Amino acid sequence: MSIDWFAFVIVAVATLVASMVVVGFYGLGMRLLAVATDAAPTRQPAVRLSAYACFAVCVAAVLYGIYLIVPAFH
Amino acid sequence: MVVLVIALALFFDFTNGFHDTANAMATPIATGAIKPKAAVLLAAILNLVGAFLSTEVAQTISGGLIREGEGGIQISPVMIFAGLIGAIVWNMITWLLGLPSSSSHALFGGLIGAAIVGAGFAAVDYGVVVSKLLLPAVLAPLIAGTVAYLGTKLAYAITRRQGNSAAPKRGGFRYGQIFSSSLVALAHGTNDAQKTMGVITLVLIAGGFQSAGSGPVFWVIAACGLAIALGTYSGGWRIIRTMGSGLTEVKPAQGFAAETSTASAILASSHLGFALSTTQVASGSVIGSGLGRKGAKVRWNTAGRIGIGWLLTLPAAGGVGALAAWVAHLGVAGIIIDAVAGILIILAMYVVSQRSKVGHDNAISDVDQAGEVVKIKRKRKKKKDRLEAGQ
Repeated sequence: MSIDWFAFVIVAVATLVASMVVVGFYGLGMRLLAVATDAAPTRQPAVRLSAYACFAVCVAAVLYGIYLIVPAFH
Repeated sequence: MVVLVIALALFFDFTNGFHDTANAMATPIATGAIKPKAAVLLAAILNLVGAFLSTEVAQTISGGLIREGEGGIQISPVMIFAGLIGAIVWNMITWLLGLPSSSSHALFGGLIGAAIVGAGFAAVDYGVVVSKLLLPAVLAPLIAGTVAYLGTKLAYAITRRQGNSAAPKRGGFRYGQIFSSSLVALAHGTNDAQKTMGVITLVLIAGGFQSAGSGPVFWVIAACGLAIALGTYSGGWRIIRTMGSGLTEVKPAQGFAAETSTASAILASSHLGFALSTTQVASGSVIGSGLGRKGAKVRWNTAGRIGIGWLLTLPAAGGVGALAAWVAHLGVAGIIIDAVAGILIILAMYVVSQRSKVGHDNAISDVDQAGEVVKIKRKRKKKKDRLEAGQ
């Protein structure tokens, strides 16, 4: 009976990295968006743009993850 | 016989979707991020899509778990039939008693039990059982829980804003939850729909319609995806009805972190062919993310009860499956007895589900129950939260 322990390490690391990236960037994006909204009189397009960039990173991370698991793409 | 098994397997798939909709969609509905009807439809579609994405888990079941074909043990459709009956009966019992259990483990338990009775202890590949069933069952919820804990900490740390009067504005996580719970639904399709595919492929192999070791064919994938999607869609009324009852207090940021880690853990495991229980992984995440909040305490009683339910499922369903296999081997009469018992139980399930008793114990899902494991100090600024929600 051989158990592929390495597979569990992969699952753990993949889960950790994927969640941290998605949660981290989503949180960051929200924070930047909040900052942009706070300073209503002085517009801050740069902050708002970087917030959207953060959300884009989330979407990209998710799409990449799905790309990885679908055998049809390889 | 083969047709009967396929019908039964698809029914099992349907109930699986029916039962698990809540796992994915309960929190975004509860926080008002998405309307119940839309959420249920979304979950159904994503389950269907998920079923097509990867067939690794199906192959674990059809190709690895039970040694079939040349050189191995001849597994018969009757055995698979008995295993399915065992799984359905055990699901029914736990559902009636309000015990948290995993329908996936019930399925495996039933199959293993039936195979052992039908063909002896050598019929089951224990290496596969341990490495692709038992260990993932223990490790995946732990991994998901740990990651959810870290994710919750991270989400709160990033959005914490010091100084001035600026509110942390964590309400945006509510919209993030639409996406994260969609991912959970997708992951559910990649893992749970596969199990039925595996069983149907197994019976096709056993019946000699397919060569041993081959993967599921297209119509099997499509049928399983549709069954689970239909189940998910029709399970929606349960959620809508229970909206009024008390949900576990899950904050959007916490729910987002929990769902993200659930989805990543399930997707990663599916990719490696680990057949795990989505309910258990989601429960692990909910507990983990609850612990990530300030002032959280574990209610060990509830946690222990859930743990015992998990431990019990595999051997108990195995027992029922073995019994059903034993009866089925009496001949045609035995198969009829099994079938009648199965139909009676399905009918009983329907009757009970029609009763409009929706309490906290059967209300949302096992995952909701897991949420009760963590006790969180209530904050006093309830009003402010509500103001934020109104924005």
